[in-house]
Amino acid sequence: MGEQDLIHLEVAYCRMHADMNEMSDQTRFPDPALAPYDIALVPVRGRISWLRVPMRLSVRPLATALAALCLALGGCAMPPPADDPDAVAEYKETNDPLEPTNRVFYAVNDALDTVILRPIALGYRAVLPSPVRTGVHNVLNNLGTPVTLANDLMQGNSRRAGDTMSRFLLNTTLGIGGLIDVAAERGIPDHPADFGMTLAVWGVGDGVFLFLPVLGPTNPRDAVGFGMDSFVLDPWGWVGHGNTVRNLRYGRTALSAVDARAMVLDDFDKVKAQALDPYATIRSLARQYRTKQIDDARNDVTPQAVKKTP
Amino acid sequence: MLHRRLLLLTPAALLLRAGPARADAVDTAQALVDKLGRELIGVVNGAGSATEKQAALEKLIDRDVDIQAVARFCLGRFWRTASPDQLKAYGELFRAVLVKNITSKVGDYQGVTMTVGKGQAREEDVLVGSVVNRPNNAPNRVDWVVSAAGGAPRIIDVIAEGTSMRLTQRSDYSAFLSRNNNDVQALIDAMRKQATQPG
Repeated sequence: MGEQDLIHLEVAYCRMHADMNEMSDQTRFPDPALAPYDIALVPVRGRISWLRVPMRLSVRPLATALAALCLALGGCAMPPPADDPDAVAEYKETNDPLEPTNRVFYAVNDALDTVILRPIALGYRAVLPSPVRTGVHNVLNNLGTPVTLANDLMQGNSRRAGDTMSRFLLNTTLGIGGLIDVAAERGIPDHPADFGMTLAVWGVGDGVFLFLPVLGPTNPRDAVGFGMDSFVLDPWGWVGHGNTVRNLRYGRTALSAVDARAMVLDDFDKVKAQALDPYATIRSLARQYRTKQIDDARNDVTPQAVKKTP
Repeated sequence: MLHRRLLLLTPAALLLRAGPARADAVDTAQALVDKLGRELIGVVNGAGSATEKQAALEKLIDRDVDIQAVARFCLGRFWRTASPDQLKAYGELFRAVLVKNITSKVGDYQGVTMTVGKGQAREEDVLVGSVVNRPNNAPNRVDWVVSAAGGAPRIIDVIAEGTSMRLTQRSDYSAFLSRNNNDVQALIDAMRKQATQPG
């Protein structure tokens, strides 16, 4: 597919979404020097710097690729007619203009899950006793400390950062390398912190709903956050070279996936058995859960903390 | 000047008037959740066959959950367009599916405990927090929404880790309806299947 075809696709996509009012830069800005630019975080000689990036180079190819993909996979959701205010309100609330594409990815993910990840998670749960699985989970969690700490700090949440630090020190020493969560037993429970949440605390909205391969239910903000956490903030990605280090890294990623999947085996089976439309149910659950996590980070609510009955 | 003072006093007076009633509602809601929680856990961890436990749970659900209010919320805008016969069938099926979903896995909750927290008044209802502990599971934060809109205070929503049961159910139904020409009869047929299939 040539560039010209992509531009045609893009124009077709824009016509479908007249409200997005997008045009190719080439038409609007014949002189590239006048084209609008974005500010982007870009790695330069191993450091992250703010750079001016022409919008043509940053967002546009992504939008074009998305448009092409969208068209290839069955198009975008058509907005309901304007004379049906209830339907319009619902469409806005759902904020899932890429629904047909998302559903394709959901189906692909679900098929892969059914034949690969779910059986592995079931086996993992059947073979290893609960305390061992808890230990694995705790170790993986402990390895995630640097990412959690960095995000706590970037969210300006010093109390949570203190929790993260105490948890790391206690669990790494008394908890034998993170195997036992002694900190939680001492009243310092785990809390989530990732770069998607950090962006949210900074005021970045979530954007449209996305169902991505591997990542599952997410949105542009959290997908960017996931990339930042995995490839920039995670120091285990910076240190060491060679096959052993690489294999350890792969091992950790794979184990994290199995651990995460095993944790939600029953809940996920239940959703799929009880929902008339599992995709829509997961979309709703994922959004609500995420909103709560972000609210808790903003208001510094400790997970599982309730006011005791006086 | 006098006017301004009066204006300032008015909301204060309203607050004073609303105060005791609000506090009552909070106490009532808290007591309701506390009692229901004890009874639920008593049934789940108690003696008896699965069938007996399911029957006991069903009774508690009927007593303390405003099922018809939840059903109405979950149908959303289609409540206005459905025929009276459809609404009747929908209401009955909603109850059947809800009871089935809650009671069918009663064995999985063996050993569960619950700590009920303080109630918190919201605009139209009261939120009662709790922490549910299941063996081999991380503790779950579960909030109970109690409303007296239908007369006696009853539960109208359960929010587990920030996910509202009725909101999730409503988006499930609305997605199903929008993929089935907004035909409430199709929803009723699908729910009938859910209610009758073994599970």
